[in-house]
Amino acid sequence: MEEIKIGVFICNCGTNIAHHVDLDAVLEAAAAMPGVAVARSYRYMCSNPGQEMIARDIREQQLNRVVVAACSPRMHEKTFRGACRNGGLNPYLCEMANIREQCSWVHSDRLAATEKAKALTSAAIRRVWHHEPLESLTAEMCPATLVIGGGIAGLTAALELADAAHQVYLVERTAALGGNLARVDLTAPHLDSARDLLTERFTRVGENPWITLMLNSELQSLAGYVGNFAAVVRTKSDDDTVQERKIDVGNVVVATGYKEFNADRITHYGHGKLPNVVTSFEFEQMLRKGRIETRDGRLPQYVAIIHCVGSRNKEFHGYCSRVCCMTALKYAHELKSANPACYVSDIYVDMHAFGKGHEDFYKHTSEVKTLFLMFDKNERPVIRMADPSDDCEMLIEVNETLSRERIEIPADLVILMVGMEARADSGEVARLVNISQDKDGWFMESHPKLDPVATTTDGIYIAGTCAAPKDIPDTVAQARAAAARILGKIAKGKIEIDGVFAEVRDDRCSGCRMCNELCPYSAIEFHLDTKRSQVIPAACKACGACVAACPSGAIKGRHFTMEQLHAQIDGVLA
Amino acid sequence: MAIRVNPKLINELETYGAADVQNCYHCGNCSATCPFSKEPFVIPRRSMRHLQMGLEAKLKGTLEPWLCYYCGECSQQCPRGAEPGETMMSLRRWLTSRYDLTGVARLFYRSWKAELVALILVSLATMTAFLVMGFGIGHGSLGVYAGAGALFPDHLVHLLDLGLAALLASVLLTNAFRMWWFTTGSNRNLHISLWLYVKNVFLLPYHFLTQARYRQCEKKLPWLNHLAIFLSWVTMEVLVIVLLERLHSAETDWAVHAFGYLATIGLLGGTAYALLGRARKSETHYKHTHPTDLMFLILIAGAALTGIVQHASYRWLGLDSVANIAYLIHMMFVIPLLAVQIPFSKLSHLAYRPLAMYLAAVHADALTSRQAGAAETEPVRLAA
Repeated sequence: MEEIKIGVFICNCGTNIAHHVDLDAVLEAAAAMPGVAVARSYRYMCSNPGQEMIARDIREQQLNRVVVAACSPRMHEKTFRGACRNGGLNPYLCEMANIREQCSWVHSDRLAATEKAKALTSAAIRRVWHHEPLESLTAEMCPATLVIGGGIAGLTAALELADAAHQVYLVERTAALGGNLARVDLTAPHLDSARDLLTERFTRVGENPWITLMLNSELQSLAGYVGNFAAVVRTKSDDDTVQERKIDVGNVVVATGYKEFNADRITHYGHGKLPNVVTSFEFEQMLRKGRIETRDGRLPQYVAIIHCVGSRNKEFHGYCSRVCCMTALKYAHELKSANPACYVSDIYVDMHAFGKGHEDFYKHTSEVKTLFLMFDKNERPVIRMADPSDDCEMLIEVNETLSRERIEIPADLVILMVGMEARADSGEVARLVNISQDKDGWFMESHPKLDPVATTTDGIYIAGTCAAPKDIPDTVAQARAAAARILGKIAKGKIEIDGVFAEVRDDRCSGCRMCNELCPYSAIEFHLDTKRSQVIPAACKACGACVAACPSGAIKGRHFTMEQLHAQIDGVLA
Repeated sequence: MAIRVNPKLINELETYGAADVQNCYHCGNCSATCPFSKEPFVIPRRSMRHLQMGLEAKLKGTLEPWLCYYCGECSQQCPRGAEPGETMMSLRRWLTSRYDLTGVARLFYRSWKAELVALILVSLATMTAFLVMGFGIGHGSLGVYAGAGALFPDHLVHLLDLGLAALLASVLLTNAFRMWWFTTGSNRNLHISLWLYVKNVFLLPYHFLTQARYRQCEKKLPWLNHLAIFLSWVTMEVLVIVLLERLHSAETDWAVHAFGYLATIGLLGGTAYALLGRARKSETHYKHTHPTDLMFLILIAGAALTGIVQHASYRWLGLDSVANIAYLIHMMFVIPLLAVQIPFSKLSHLAYRPLAMYLAAVHADALTSRQAGAAETEPVRLAA
C-alpha cells in the first residue's frame, strides 16, 4: 500500500471561523497527526488562490488525500473536489470538516469551539485515510417522455417537448383533453375564453407527429430509473376491452391536476338541499350555456358569492386555493354584464389579489358596485330561506368584520367558491412514480423555491395543480419549466451518476429481498434468475437504509464504508 | 338580531351626489388622516362602510357626517379614489332630507330643477306680495323710498320679516328635534343624564358663532371664508330683522351702517372666493359641485349685489325709484334664500352643525362616564 500523504487545509472564512476558533491551535494539532504531510490555513480557501494552493500542494508534495476544514460540504464540497481533480487527484479522496455551521457559528466559547474544531478535523483526517478513488458512471438518456394528464399543464409540457422534435406519450384518463380548465367559461383577470386557450392546444397536439395521444388511459406501472424508465399504460376501448402497452421513456411529467372541494361537506351552506345554492363549477356551466337563472327559471336579483369554501379554515383545508378570489371577481363582472340591475355580494375572508393585473381587476370589480363583505376565516355564514314577504329567496347571516355588525344578506342565487384539493387517488399516483406527498396530499417538489418542478426522484417532474393550487399562468410556467429541464437532459444525451451509491456483493446476498422493500427510491432490483438483489446506481441516493438493514452484511455503501465511519467516530472521540 | 344589508341604498345616495363609495376597501387611511376621527367617532370610514352595506338605520342615527368639515385630506389620501369627503357631504344632504318631515328636502336634493322652480315661484310670490303691499295696501309711490308715502314702508316689511323668522324657526326646531331623536333620543344604548345636556349647552352658541371645529382642519382658509360668509349673513339678519328702522332712517346711522358695509364686503368676498374655487376646482372640497351649492352661492351674491344697488341709489344718488326697484329684486333673492334653503336645503346646516357638535360632546361624555362607572364596579382584569 502506498504511503498516505494528507494535506490539511483550514479556512478562516474571513472572520466567520477565525473569530471564534483558535485556528493556529487547530493547525498545530492537525499537523501533528499521522499521515499529515502539509497543513495550511488561508483566509478564504474557496477563493481561486485557495483552490490553487490545494492543487499545487497535491502536485508538488505528492499528496494523495485532502482534508478541507471549512464550511458545510453542502456549500463547497463540489468546489474542493474540483480543486483535487485539478491537482490530479480523484475527487473522492477529499473530505471536509464542517467547522463553520457546526462549530464557529453556533458556539461563543472560544476554547470549547477550538477543541470541537480540532475533533472535527481529526475525524476528517482519520476518515480520509480509508477513502477509495471512485468513478462516476454514465447512462443513456432515452429521449421520449411520458406526460400524465391532459389538462392545460400536460398539454403545454407535451407541446413544448414535441416542438423540439422529441417523442411524447400523452396519457389522459378520460375520453377528452382539457382537464378542469375545459369546465371553465372565461378566465380572470382579462376575461379571455378558456375554450380559446384550449382549442389552440388541442389542434396543435392533434397535428403534432411527435405526440402519441392516449385517451381513456392510465399509467399501470413504472419501472427503471432516470433516462431508462419502462412504463405500462392501460387503455380502455369503447367496447370496454382493455389494452396494455409498454413504452420506454427517459423522463416523466406528472400533471394530474386537482379536484374541487365537495361543497356538500359544509352542511350550513345547504348545497344539494337548497335549490339555488350552486358551486363555482355549477355556475360555470350556467355561464357556458349563457343563461344565469334560478332553478325555476327566474333572473336572480340578488347574487351572493361565498369565498373560501373548504379552504383556509381549521376544519377542512388550511391552505389558500389561490384561484377562487379572482374567479369570484370574474363572476361579479359576468353577472353585472349579463344583468346590470342585479346586486352582487362578495362574501370573502381576505381578498388575495396577488397576480399580475389582479389588483386592477379587484378595483374594477368594486367600480361596478360589487358589495364586498368580510368574515372571519374560522366562522361561517349560515344560509336560510327568507320569508315569503321578503324580496329575496334566501338570507345569509354572518358577522361582518369591517363593520363589526351581524348582518343578513339577501340572495336569490348563492355561488360557493369551492377550493382545490388533491385528487382522491393522488397517493396511488405518488406510489406509481415514486414521489412524495405533503400533508395535504399535494406532490412534493425537490426544493420549494429553487427546484419547484423536480421531485426527489430523478427523471420525475411535477407541473401544475397536482403540486399545489395555482392559476393558469403559474401552471403553464411550471409545465414549460418541466419541459425545459427534460430538454436539457435530452440535449446532454447521457446522464452522469454520482460515484457514491450502494453495492450488493453477490456472494453474500441471500436473496431475502428485505432491501427491495425498504429502498425509498425503488433503486434495488431483484433478479429472479440469479436470486440476487442488485442496486441500480442511477436511482440510488446513497441513503444507506439497505446497508444497515441487510442481515447478511452484503451491501456496501460506497464512500460510507464501515472502516470510514468507524475511523471518523474514533477521530471525533480522540 | 342581524341587520339586513341593502345594496340599493348606495344608488339612492348617488342622487344626493355620492360617487365611487363602492371603491372603498377599508384600508383606513382616511380615518388616520382625519383630525376629527377620535373615539367614539370613526370618521369617515364607518359611514363609508354603513353606506356600502346600506345600513339605513345606522346612517340615520349617526352624527358623524356633521362632524366632518370636508377639508378633503381623506379624499386626497384615498388609494382607491372612493371620495370619502364627498360621501360625507352627500350624507349630510341625505340626512337633511331625513330630518325634514315634509319630504320637500328629499325632492329638492334629488331634483335641482324642482328646487329651482320652487325658488322662482317663491321669488315671484315675493314680488307679488311686495307689489300688493306697496301699491295696494300702503298706497305708496315708486318715487318715495323712505318716510311717509314710501313704497315699502318699514313697519310692514319688519312685520313680514318677523313672521318669516318665526315660521323658519319653528320648521328648523322641528327638524332639529327630529335630528336629536334619530341620533340620541331613540338610541337605547346611550344613557344621558340631564346634567350632561346642561353642562354642554354652551357649545351650541359657541359652535354656532365660531365654527371652532372647522378651524381644527389643517387648512385654515376655508374656515375663514366660511366664517366670513356666515358672520356677515348673521349680521345682515340682525340688521334687517331687529334694526330695520334704524337701517332705513333718512340719516345715515353709522353705528348700524358700518356693520352693514362690513357684512356686504364679507358676503361678496366670501361668495366670490367660493364661486371662483368651484369654477377652478382649486380645493378638494370644491371638486364636486351639487346644483344646490351653486344656487345657494348665486342667491347670496345676488342679494348682496342688489343690496348695494339699492343702498347706493338711495343714499348716494338719491334715486328713490331705482332704490325701490333694487329693493324689490333684493327681496326676490333674500326671501327664496331664507324660505327655501333654510328649511329644505343647504342652509339648514346652520342649525344641524352646532347641534351635532353639542350632541357629539354629550355622547362622548355619556360614554366616558359609563366606562368610568364600569371600571368601578367590575373587578380588575389582568392582561392576558
